[in-house]
Amino acid sequence: MAGKGIHIEGLKKRYGSGDTAVDALKNVNMQVAPGEVVGLIGPSGSGKSTLLKALGAVIEPTAGRMILGGEVIYDNGWMVKDLRALRRDKIGFVFQAPYLIPFLNVTDNVALLPMLAGIPNAEARSRAVELFKALDVEHRAKAMPSQLSGGEQQRVAIARGLVNHPPVILADEPTAPLDSVRALAVIRILNDMARKLETAIIVVTHDEKIIPTFKRIYHIRDGVTYEEAGEGREFE
Amino acid sequence: MIKRFPIRGRTLALVLVLVPLLALFIYVALRSGPLAPVPVTVTSVEDRAISPALFGIGTIEARYTYRIGPTFAGRIKRLDVHVGDTVKAGQVLGEMDPVDLDERIQGQEAALKRAKALLNEALARQAYAQTQSRRYEQLLEVRAISEETVATKKHELQVAEAGLNAAREELARIQADREALIAQRRNLKLVAPVDGLITARDADPGTTIVAGQAVVELIDPESLWVNVRFDQIHAHGLAAKLPATIVLRSQTVELRTGRVLRVEPLADTVTEETLAKVIFDQLPEPLPPVGELAEVTVALPALPAAPTIPNAAILRRNGGLGVWQIKNGDLRFIPVILGAADLEGNVQVREGLQAGDQVVLYSAKALSARNRIDIVDRIPGVKP
Amino acid sequence: MISLAGRDIMHAWGKFVFTGVGLGLLIGVTLSMAGIYRGMVDDAKVLLDNSGADLWVVQKDTLGPYAESSSIYDDTWRSIRGMPGVERVANITYLTMQVRQGERDVRAMVTGVTPGEAGTPGWPPYLVAGRQITRGHYEAVADIASGFKLGDRIQIRRNHYTVVGLTRRMVSSNGDPMVFIPLKDAQESQFLKDNDAILQQRRRTAENPNFNRPQVPGLLEAVIASQSTNPYVNAVLVQIKSGHNADEVAQSIRRWKRLTVYTRGQMEAILVGKLIATSARQIGMFLVILSIVSSAIVAFIIYTLTLGKIREIAVLKLIGTKNRTIAGLIMQQAIALGLIGFVVGKISATLLMAPFFPKYVLLEPLDSVFGFIAVVVICVLSSIIAIRVALKVDPAEAIGG
Repeated sequence: MAGKGIHIEGLKKRYGSGDTAVDALKNVNMQVAPGEVVGLIGPSGSGKSTLLKALGAVIEPTAGRMILGGEVIYDNGWMVKDLRALRRDKIGFVFQAPYLIPFLNVTDNVALLPMLAGIPNAEARSRAVELFKALDVEHRAKAMPSQLSGGEQQRVAIARGLVNHPPVILADEPTAPLDSVRALAVIRILNDMARKLETAIIVVTHDEKIIPTFKRIYHIRDGVTYEEAGEGREFE
Repeated sequence: MIKRFPIRGRTLALVLVLVPLLALFIYVALRSGPLAPVPVTVTSVEDRAISPALFGIGTIEARYTYRIGPTFAGRIKRLDVHVGDTVKAGQVLGEMDPVDLDERIQGQEAALKRAKALLNEALARQAYAQTQSRRYEQLLEVRAISEETVATKKHELQVAEAGLNAAREELARIQADREALIAQRRNLKLVAPVDGLITARDADPGTTIVAGQAVVELIDPESLWVNVRFDQIHAHGLAAKLPATIVLRSQTVELRTGRVLRVEPLADTVTEETLAKVIFDQLPEPLPPVGELAEVTVALPALPAAPTIPNAAILRRNGGLGVWQIKNGDLRFIPVILGAADLEGNVQVREGLQAGDQVVLYSAKALSARNRIDIVDRIPGVKP
Repeated sequence: MISLAGRDIMHAWGKFVFTGVGLGLLIGVTLSMAGIYRGMVDDAKVLLDNSGADLWVVQKDTLGPYAESSSIYDDTWRSIRGMPGVERVANITYLTMQVRQGERDVRAMVTGVTPGEAGTPGWPPYLVAGRQITRGHYEAVADIASGFKLGDRIQIRRNHYTVVGLTRRMVSSNGDPMVFIPLKDAQESQFLKDNDAILQQRRRTAENPNFNRPQVPGLLEAVIASQSTNPYVNAVLVQIKSGHNADEVAQSIRRWKRLTVYTRGQMEAILVGKLIATSARQIGMFLVILSIVSSAIVAFIIYTLTLGKIREIAVLKLIGTKNRTIAGLIMQQAIALGLIGFVVGKISATLLMAPFFPKYVLLEPLDSVFGFIAVVVICVLSSIIAIRVALKVDPAEAIGG
């Protein structure tokens, strides 16, 4: 698995230029192995969101190097042309709110991603349904997002993040709207899936309930990351 | 697209709304505009006899109108009758002012007396000359006087006789003069020539009028007739003695019967009308005013039965008359040759159709052979 | 791939259909506007068709008889009849006036037709009820739009007429229903206005010492009689023999009879170009305004719908949806809205608007096709703003902060 996962070295991001320039990211270094779930914790304005966006290939860093799933995607400049395809194929997103597409049913919400990648509808759907089995929302496969509970929605959102088997999943406050039982359940699912699919997962959070579950935590302050060992508490 | 996921309620509602909408749209697209079938009504050609008739408009006129006036210029002295009076033949209606005519007659009478006196004198002279002449002849026989003297006396007798003749003629002349004046005097009276009705009084006493100008107008009410004008296009078959019905404008409900008295040999070249006189079988009572409008329908002899169609079915296409025939549901334009028609719009067909043929009577728009048709009892929009 | 636009519409179909119906009513009004213009042109055309004429002979240098008044002697037809190539001629008069029936009166174009048989130029070419005129006087065939029924007694100026037949779509270029009466009656009604006017005219004539001379009995009557006739008609309709060229026949009448002659094409140009030009411009203006309003509405609706989906669009972008797909989503929705609008518009124009509009509304299928294309184009154009907004959405927005 070496070379897979996430490697970030000396990532910098500067907004603006000259006197008004702001350095949002000064020196970010992260390593996440496949199958590993790490936490990313930082106060507001620490550069957390900027880091997430840079990882998600929606903003361009200023300097540094990013390797996702064994592919150098950024080395003082984008190394891939189609960022959209990159996002689609290499990165799974799980958000604070589920952000499901309200006019698609649960299955299609998830199956949309493989469909966008050109996978036939039927196959895409069966992939989604497989994930639902793992995530225990199979019975809601034909429901509309609005008919689901918050936890179910979040699980569907996770399924969407996983469906293309991306080497990297970025989860942004995935447990914020959930109570502690559900929040822990979500984290467990992420851990399970990470292991099962060899995925590197970064969970951005400041949710006290789940911080203790991480084995490794990155703190970010003023655009600089600091690595720290977590409690890695087993939950159940 | 994918297999439809059963979102039953919504799908059903959607279908319930969209399918009727679509159906309506297709209906609208096909049922309006040029694709729509044209509603038509159909009639079958019938064998029947028709009674053609001619229709004309006329005015009541009097056959005889007398316009009475003086024969020379003068002033009206009196006028005794008014419009609406009935008068008898010979009745004095009025009189012209004689001015000096009476005085001139008196003068003529004096002259007459004088002429008579002169005649008497001439008679006396002639008698004396005759006596003298006879006596001198006797004297000559006894040769008491010369022959020359006898000749002188004979000559005197001849002169006296000529004088007598002249006096006689003078008397006759003066008598004739006087009679002429009296006749003139008599002519100043306006006299009714026939029994009749005064229809106009154009002048009143005191008015001076020229010779020939009418003072009163008189008609013979028994001679009222209708002067009818028939459009020449519709005057075929018009002849004397045909029965006619007359409707007066003032009495539209009442039909009067009459007959054609004569068809005028002269037609109106300007208005392209034929004129005819129609008389009443029985004069209406009260008499209609002269000049009243009358509608006259002249019945022509009934024609034998022949295929007949209503005139509404006939149309002109590419210069020829014809009808739309329906055969096995198809529309065909059949040229026809038309015969007589009556006033109710029935037209006999001489050629082109047989009894029993189905033809289009009314249509909601102009037809062409490509039209689809929809046979209805009544064209939409026509109230019963 | 699934149809995102379809799914979105299915998801909010109620809103969509209602918006579409609203838009549809607007499109219906637009189609009706076009229909009114077509109706006016068609009114002009049926007026010409119904006259059955190939040529119109009118007073020299006038645009008569429809667009301008024209009067020629009623015996002019005789000399025209003799021209080579002339098959059939008929006098005709047109005068728009009030036709009374009982209590009400109707504005109608009273047409005096030459007596003859069905198919004579100027006669109504087809009826919807009753029969053609058979008597030379006091019968009328009226258009159904006048509201008269068979057997009605109608009054035109001084005379009463019996309605014996009904026509449909026989209207003047202003849309007034036509009433056909025999030519002589029509000539009289054009001239003999009413009893009072006739009396006054006679009085004036009688007061003129030139006409009322005592030395000349009968002069006054003769003058009055000559004043009381109307030897004029408005036009002579000419049908030409088959095999003759209308333009050539017209040219020879122009040349030898020194009258103005119009062919069918020229007459149509006069009616459409002169008579209804102003109305057509007004309608054209309305069409433009309505098109702008429609496109503004479509643009606004699509824009609003898109704004409501900004976050979904951000998510779609984030998960790698192509711009083309997102633009397609919006454009397909705009077109779908236009389609619903067009269907509703066509239905409402045909079933709800046209039958009740006081003027004739002709909805041409070709117009509907153009209308459809226009609606689609407008919808596509209107969606451009919304598409621009959607494409500007930053996928980063999906990732909070």
